[in-house]
Amino acid sequence: MKKINDITGWKLLRTMLLTCGLILILFPLYLVVINAFKTLDEAGRNFFALPERLNLSNFAELFTNSNYWVFLRNSLKITVISVGLILIFVPSVSYAVARNFEKRYYRTVYYYLLMGLFIPSQVIMLPVTKMMTKLGLLNHTGLIILYAAFSLTQGVFLFVNYIRGLPYEIEESAQIDGCGVLGTYVRIVLPLVKPMLSTLLIMDALWIWNDFMLPLLILNRAKEIWTLPLFQYNFKTEYSFNYTMAFTAYLLAMLPMLFIYCLGQKYIIKGLTAGSVKG
Amino acid sequence: MEDGGSVKLLPSLAFTAVLLQKSFSIMCSGKAKGMDINMKRTSMKIKGAYIYFAFTVIPAALYTFFYVISVINGIRYSFTDWDGMSMEYHYVGFKNYRMLFRNPNFWNSLKTTLLYSCMLVVSVILASLFLAISLNSLKCFKTFVKSIFFVPAMIGGVTIALIWDQLFYRVVPMIGQFLGIGWLSQSLLMTGKTALPAVVFVQAWQAVAMPTVIFIAGLQQIPEEQYESAKIDGATAFAQFWYITMPYLLPTVTVNLVLTIKQGFTSFDFPYAMTGGGPVRATEVIGILIYNDAFKNMRFSVANAEACVLFVVVAAFSLTQLKLTGKGGGRE
Repeated sequence: MKKINDITGWKLLRTMLLTCGLILILFPLYLVVINAFKTLDEAGRNFFALPERLNLSNFAELFTNSNYWVFLRNSLKITVISVGLILIFVPSVSYAVARNFEKRYYRTVYYYLLMGLFIPSQVIMLPVTKMMTKLGLLNHTGLIILYAAFSLTQGVFLFVNYIRGLPYEIEESAQIDGCGVLGTYVRIVLPLVKPMLSTLLIMDALWIWNDFMLPLLILNRAKEIWTLPLFQYNFKTEYSFNYTMAFTAYLLAMLPMLFIYCLGQKYIIKGLTAGSVKG
Repeated sequence: MEDGGSVKLLPSLAFTAVLLQKSFSIMCSGKAKGMDINMKRTSMKIKGAYIYFAFTVIPAALYTFFYVISVINGIRYSFTDWDGMSMEYHYVGFKNYRMLFRNPNFWNSLKTTLLYSCMLVVSVILASLFLAISLNSLKCFKTFVKSIFFVPAMIGGVTIALIWDQLFYRVVPMIGQFLGIGWLSQSLLMTGKTALPAVVFVQAWQAVAMPTVIFIAGLQQIPEEQYESAKIDGATAFAQFWYITMPYLLPTVTVNLVLTIKQGFTSFDFPYAMTGGGPVRATEVIGILIYNDAFKNMRFSVANAEACVLFVVVAAFSLTQLKLTGKGGGRE
């Protein structure tokens, strides 16, 4: 008898808390969406209700008065190029390290790259800004280079362990059949590490797309080169009085990622966990 | 002294050169002994060795120039009196550090950061653990509910911070007044005592998603028979959790702890976008202190010294953790 109470009690508690959690997640998003379609006046009257009619004036004003499309393009460009570079560099260097781990040079490279795990981002943020200023790289190119360099530590950490866990025999037989290192890497290793590649792709794409600190340090000088998070932040001061406008801006900033998420949420969640727990 | 950066490139170039030499000698040492049949394979091996080496060159160079040199420069700047702008600066030894340790604002910021991290870690780990267990045992709508709970991870920190900034200003006080709770009826971010928990809450709102899915993946590795036999033996739900679930989940707990602690220590977006460190330094975590000192208060070298102290704290923390868990972050 007690056991049954135990289980129904747990189920009740679970449902209750999960519902609370769902409300906690969805309610703020709901408020953002509905208020994006209201005028300031209407939002003042009924903040929580659905808009009386589909009012697109906020969107129209945002599209004409601010450079939303420019910021979107900047964000896209930076994310795509950086992630592309990361997907080229990280697996190749990890492969070289993982398959030559007995050699001192590769071990050194590995631990050298891993050093970054201990260094908090605040240590980097000032000197790197000074350095990029000196090099004249306070622009998209500079930011992309930084992302490629800063992603190495975590990426290599994940990849080297993953590749070392793969069976070596397939590669060996490919090499006996006359396949060079490059051929083995492209034809055998890359297909084998696909789960890890998707983890890296999603993780770094999310990080770069949503990153605020590095764009703040590198891109804050000229408005045309801002990314979406910078636009968001600076919008706060520009439109502090007009909060439905602000909500519209937040909605527009969230939309691209939410759209991608809707398309592939199964792959995204799976991809992110593939790297963290070995199957 | 302005071109300090390029001067610093030299030692690293020398370092790379030494590595090059070493690797060549390693590569060549294993070659060309005897027989013809092996010749072709050996030559391929040498070519392969070059390719392996080529794989490492660009990443190592990028990392050296943009990461390692920055760290070294940061440490170097912390021993100078540079304000970040002027043409020249002087080395002043440990003066910045001595000043720092006498500065109550610095200690306050360090304390705030620690408190922030603790609150974040406890709330995130508990919430995500509970969420993972409940979601995993859910029968209907499992995928749907899970995908909703993961939505915050897709949104950027700044956007979330700004949305909640509005909510704390417009919605939360209304709810507080409606429920008649005093501390909830004023803006939480404006009051010294409630500002820090409020910011932590918002970051946790986002940060829970990732550990949850990692926990779920960990839970799915527990063999179902364990629970079957426990049920037959009449174990309570709590006993099942404590004696079966927890031991299996321990490695995953470590992963999530590492992730969340690092997030807490390096938190910047959320407090910066919501409070900017206020009210009266109540949410001034170390990231904000460093940023403000460097770019607003013109104390660039002092800010670097602050960063170095944080570096030592984080490194000590990570090393202890590595020792305790016995492996590199425990990603397995």
